[in-house]
Amino acid sequence: MRPWLLLALALSIAATSADAASLRIAAITGSNGPCHALEAGAPAGEIAYFRHLESRLGRAILTCNVMDRAAAAQALALGRLDAAVLDPAAYAPVQAKARAILTVRPAGRLNRIPIVVVVKKTNVSATNLAALKGKSVVFGGSVDAALAVPRQALTDQGAGPGFFAREAVSTDGDSAAAKLRSGAADALVLNAAAWQRLCQGLRTQDNRCEDLKVLWHGHTRATLALVVRRDIPDDLRFRLIGIHLAMHLEAKEAFAWASSWIPQSAEFEPTEADALATR
Amino acid sequence: MRPWFTSLVLICAAALCGCGQHAVSRDSSDWRGKMKQIRFAVRGSESDPAMATRWKAYAAYLSKASGLPVKLYESSDYNGSIQALSSGQVDMAQIAGGGYANVDAQVGDKVAPMVTVRQAEGSMGYYSALLVKQSSPVHKLADMKGRTLGYVDFNSTSGYLYPRAKMREQGIEPDTFFGKTSFAGGHTQAVMALENGQFDATIIEVGGGDPEHGFTTGPQYTMGRRGLVDPKAFRIVWVVGPIPNAVMVTRTDRPQPFIDLARGAMAALPYDDPDLWRGIGQPDGSAFAAVDRSFYAEVIRLRAADIAKRRGGANSPPAKPS
Repeated sequence: MRPWLLLALALSIAATSADAASLRIAAITGSNGPCHALEAGAPAGEIAYFRHLESRLGRAILTCNVMDRAAAAQALALGRLDAAVLDPAAYAPVQAKARAILTVRPAGRLNRIPIVVVVKKTNVSATNLAALKGKSVVFGGSVDAALAVPRQALTDQGAGPGFFAREAVSTDGDSAAAKLRSGAADALVLNAAAWQRLCQGLRTQDNRCEDLKVLWHGHTRATLALVVRRDIPDDLRFRLIGIHLAMHLEAKEAFAWASSWIPQSAEFEPTEADALATR
Repeated sequence: MRPWFTSLVLICAAALCGCGQHAVSRDSSDWRGKMKQIRFAVRGSESDPAMATRWKAYAAYLSKASGLPVKLYESSDYNGSIQALSSGQVDMAQIAGGGYANVDAQVGDKVAPMVTVRQAEGSMGYYSALLVKQSSPVHKLADMKGRTLGYVDFNSTSGYLYPRAKMREQGIEPDTFFGKTSFAGGHTQAVMALENGQFDATIIEVGGGDPEHGFTTGPQYTMGRRGLVDPKAFRIVWVVGPIPNAVMVTRTDRPQPFIDLARGAMAALPYDDPDLWRGIGQPDGSAFAAVDRSFYAEVIRLRAADIAKRRGGANSPPAKPS
């Protein structure tokens, strides 16, 4: 075998082992560059974050300069990066190759809880959310979990202010469901927990909502999320989630830096793969 | 230099190059070889036989996530999980806050909280409720003076520890206020004993709501779904809480990659497989959140105070129901 061929083979092996032994994180810097170890002069929080990940994952953490979130998304899709914070616009072109794993819950806010939009089963014309345009809707309460979060979820789906002809806010899920059943509203919007409580009977076989159907079920769309490639091993994905989930308790300085993309961050929150997907 | 030697040198150099770039790298994958299996203690729910099936589904998920077999240790009483954890016979467990307080008293930081459930509305706790029959003359806690009360278990947070501490805060000494007290052994047994007239009242856990709006979960509802009792035959006359939700804990002397993976896999479950999440009895819209010892500080304090009070010469422990 010729020496140059051997050298190429050897370098290829080295590159492969480097990929397997490191985690490459995007840094939005306004210019693209190679991945490298963090400089000694990096911000203290960033150093704390990298050290925390290195010690917990047992692998080198590299920082990779990228022009912007769109460039980070492309690098992620091409396998040149392992993790990046993306927004919905950057995520959309790489949706098939990347997935969200973590968002950040701001202090005093709820998790990204699932929401349901419900209509009467007899309403055969309502087959999707768009069919409710110009109709009336009732919410099951005025607390954030019953009103603000469901409203945001609807807005994310294109059913924001002005979509419904009339909106009503009941005191709870039961009274809101009564409005739907009586015809005073065309649709009922609840969070999934309230819907579960509404429909749960005293016996397992009881379903108090057999006359109703769920038209839409989903979350509010995340504005930003930590995204990894879809082909990342579950082992690494779960460990990344586990490490980040407890970071606000175990490594406060690292958490403050790592979560700084969301104001008043309280903790990392796991998320569904398509948390950034547009409708 | 011979070609084969050249090859060897180049390949070794390349490998060293790779390693040198990652000076901090060390193999953390051998934790599986050390653990061989994950031993997970859970408390079987006497009011819900389907819980055993659910735990098996949970174990299957954790096994798939970790690549290790998961062995479930289902204990029939509160103390089983506590002792298994304290002695290191299991790697992780789900226990109530009071149980964790007992473990903490026994082994300190050898066991640490990983996650607890945050409900959709943001609550991370549940309540303790004094339950009586609809026909009972008891309408408030003060009416229970001299009457019989059934606790759940000495290690029960909502069925013993927490309400007793709150009674004391309200000026009632639980060891002398009631005519007679007993341990029923579980929430289901407590409700069944109340139904059968063995107590005037019992103290159980309730959730899925709050004192203002009422509750939707608790043993009387679970038993009602099985046709054992009519939940409407009871009423709640006193509520305290919220009490920090039950916690998933781990032995801290286990490999860190295992702890991180277990926490992450469990936290990802409601997002990766919401059907399984609901199937194991978790409320829709709820999710796991990381917690540490400080989240259970009040329960730990109350447990220590209760033990000190009992050791200080208060009434002897209650008897089992006759």
